[in-house]
Parts: sequence; C-alpha cells; structure tokens
Amino acid sequence: MKISTFLENKRNKATKKIIGKIGVALFWVLLWALAAWWVDSPLVLPSPLTTLAGVITLAGDFEFFVSIGITLLRVFGGVFISVLLGLLLGLAGGLNKPFYEIMNPFVSTIKSLPVVSVIILINLWIASGLVPLVVTFLICFPVTWTNVVQGVRTTDKKLLQMAKIYNVEQSRIIRDIYLPSIKPYAVSALMNAIGLGWKVTVTAEVLANALPSIGMNLYYSKIYLETDLLFSWTLVIVICSLAIEKITLYVIGNNRKGDGQCPLS
Amino acid sequence: MSIIIKELYKKYGEVVIFENFNLVFKKNKITGILGPSGSGKTTLLNLCSGLEQPDSGMIEGINPQAISYIFQEPRLLPWRTVRENLRFVFKEKSIKKPGSHDLDIDAMLELVGLATVGDHYPQELSGGMRQRVSIARAFLYPSELLLMDEPFSSLDCALKNRLIEDFSKIWEQDKRTVIFVSHNEDEIRRLAQEVLTFSDKPVQLLKKEILG
Repeated sequence: MKISTFLENKRNKATKKIIGKIGVALFWVLLWALAAWWVDSPLVLPSPLTTLAGVITLAGDFEFFVSIGITLLRVFGGVFISVLLGLLLGLAGGLNKPFYEIMNPFVSTIKSLPVVSVIILINLWIASGLVPLVVTFLICFPVTWTNVVQGVRTTDKKLLQMAKIYNVEQSRIIRDIYLPSIKPYAVSALMNAIGLGWKVTVTAEVLANALPSIGMNLYYSKIYLETDLLFSWTLVIVICSLAIEKITLYVIGNNRKGDGQCPLS
Repeated sequence: MSIIIKELYKKYGEVVIFENFNLVFKKNKITGILGPSGSGKTTLLNLCSGLEQPDSGMIEGINPQAISYIFQEPRLLPWRTVRENLRFVFKEKSIKKPGSHDLDIDAMLELVGLATVGDHYPQELSGGMRQRVSIARAFLYPSELLLMDEPFSSLDCALKNRLIEDFSKIWEQDKRTVIFVSHNEDEIRRLAQEVLTFSDKPVQLLKKEILG
C-alpha cells in the first residue's frame, strides 16, 4: 500500500513536471505567434504554423533527409574524432607533464582562434564537404582535451597510492582508476561537444558551400528570401539537436545504471 | 629477515622528523608503534612502503613488491564491487586459470564475515565492513610486510573490538611481519607482541616493551 502510494506520488510529480515544461514551451510559441501576427509579414517573421507547414513540405522531399543525414554525419564524425582523440591525448597529457607542455600551446591557440577564420583557412586546404568535419573537430577537441586533463589531475591520489603499494600494472590503474574518474569530465565534454558541434558544423557548411547540407539549405532560403523555409530549417536543427542531446543523455543514463552504485561514473 | 632502519634522516622543509634514527622490526611479529599525533609514525610507514624516500639513511630487509598496507580509510574503488576490489590487487600474469583467484577471494570473504556482500559496491557497506574489505585485500596480496596506519581509528568501540578479533584470527593463520601504528594504546596492546613508544619530532625511541 505504502509502496503504491509512493509510486503514484512519483508518477504525479513526473506528470506535473512534463505539463510544466509543455506550458513553458507553449508560452514562448504563443509569444512568437503574437509577434508574427503583429509584424504581419511572413517575409520578416513567419508564424509558428507557417514554419511547421514548411517543415512538413520539406519532409516530402527525399533531399531533405539526405541533407539532414549528411549534416548529422559531419556533426557526429567531428564530435566522435574530437572525443576519442581528446580522451587519448588528454589521458596522456594528464599523466605526462612534458606531453602536456607540448600540447598545451597548440590547444590554447586553437581555442583562441575565431571559428570563421578556422573555417575559411581550412576551406583553402581541403574539399568543401570535409571542411565542417575538420572544423568541428578543431573546435570540439580543445573542450574534450581540457576536460580529460582536468579529470586525470583530480583523480583520487589515495587510490593511486593504494595501487602503487599493491604494484598494480599501469594498464589496470588506467582502466580501473583513471577512466572511471575521468568519466564525468568526459561526459560533460561530450555534451558540450555535441552542442558546439551542431553550431560549428552548420556554420562551416554555409561558409564552405558544403553540399548536400542543412547549412546550404539555410543559405539558399536566405538568398531566395524564403524566410518561412529559413525558419523551418532552423526548427529542424533545433529538433535534431534536442533529440540527439536527449538520446545521448538517455544512453549515458543507462550506462550509469550498469555501473551499479558508482557515484562518479 | 628482520627490517633494519639505519641512520634514517628525513625532514619536511625545516622540520626534522627523523635524525640518525635506528630501529629493528622482528620478522613475522606484530610491532605496535605508539606516539603523539604528528610525531612521524605515518611518515615511517610511508618510508617503509616506498611512498616517500628518506633524505639519507637506509631501510633494509623490505621487498618493495611484497608490501600490503591497511590505511586509516579503506581506499576501495567506489565503482567496483567488493570482489572486484579484491581482484584488483592480483596480478594478471599470476593468474593460472580463470577464476582460480576467486576461490581465494571467497575463502577470505568468508573469513572476514563478508561472504554475502561480494557483489555489493563499497558505498552499500558500513564503515566497518569497508575496513574489513581493506583487511581482506591486505591479506590476499602475497606480501611479507603488512603496514597498518590507524586502521581502527574511525570505528566505534564494538566494531573496533570485532575487527581486532577478526584481524588476530587471520594473522594467526597467515603470520606476516606487521608494523601497526596508532595513538590508541589499547588497540596496540591487544594486537602487538612488541610495543615501541616514539617521542615527538625529531623521533626518538622512548620505550620498547615485549608483550609476548
């Protein structure tokens, strides 16, 4: 009886939370609709309904899915390479001071470069289709590298001392102490990289004329003054970005359950 | 072979901890060290374990590959189960056949009264149970020297008594050289066969008692 009441309360809380979120979203959509009604020009500000209708129209064309698929590949490719290399080189940088000293100026330089300069420069050297991938890597890698180095440095020294006393091999220390310790930092880096990856990839697609892509569809909407389609493509980006963020969090959440009671991982 | 400390010198900044310090620890005996807090007892254990290096002097008779350490806090991997924590100190190359170590682990868990919690995570256990895992780990590791730094200090009286009994039981079955540091005289006298009393810094041996 008590357990069922507890579960019911928990379910009610969750339902209230979802209703609250929908309410907030509806508030902003309503504000947008009011602004569009007040402006009264779809060329300047299309209404939410026009934007949604635009997405439905776009979805009727196979090219729409090709553009989304290719952009997704670029985002994931760039994020995957930056997270993988960030993890490996960050681990090496955290464990080895001379390696950190060599890498740090390189990472700091990339970090301080304006994204637009990187895109234009890279576009001079490689094919347009690959520019967004490379640029996404260059922008996301410093985030993951810095996070992983920090994770290695904050690893519990007492556990490392224990492993040293018991002569545990370095490979097992990395697997069983460092990797679980840096996991929260790596997850945070991954989420940042995904958020950043979207913005950088789409920007790079526009500036590098990468085809097919969401970025170029945005650009064409702009030059043909199809503001409603510009909004529709932007809505597609927001939906994809949110969906990927939620899926990633769900996958990480499931992994956490697999780790049992681990507070850090 | 006994552990011999010869003309040990160690300082932190301007604070001299050991100066021309000499001592012998008997083999396969439990030696208890008493002394005021901050007098250098833990430093001596860290010097013996190789976690710290002396500024000068020598420590002879220690195989650095064969040391176990029971710390003040259990130092268990929070993301690994009790069994995995114990398996962590085994060397891959020493595994003869799959699962062979698990037999030792099961026997040890039985001995320390933790047979039912092998698949639990450390944070699911009480403080006393976690420290027992740490004791089990120290005895599972094939060491010749066991260092103990106030391992019972954070436990309540009843739990401390049980753990001291558990420890004695295991040590009787597997007699190793033990250096046991504490500021609690009762703990030391219940476990040790030889009791050394240290002065404050720089450390000097004030008293040496043979208990049995």
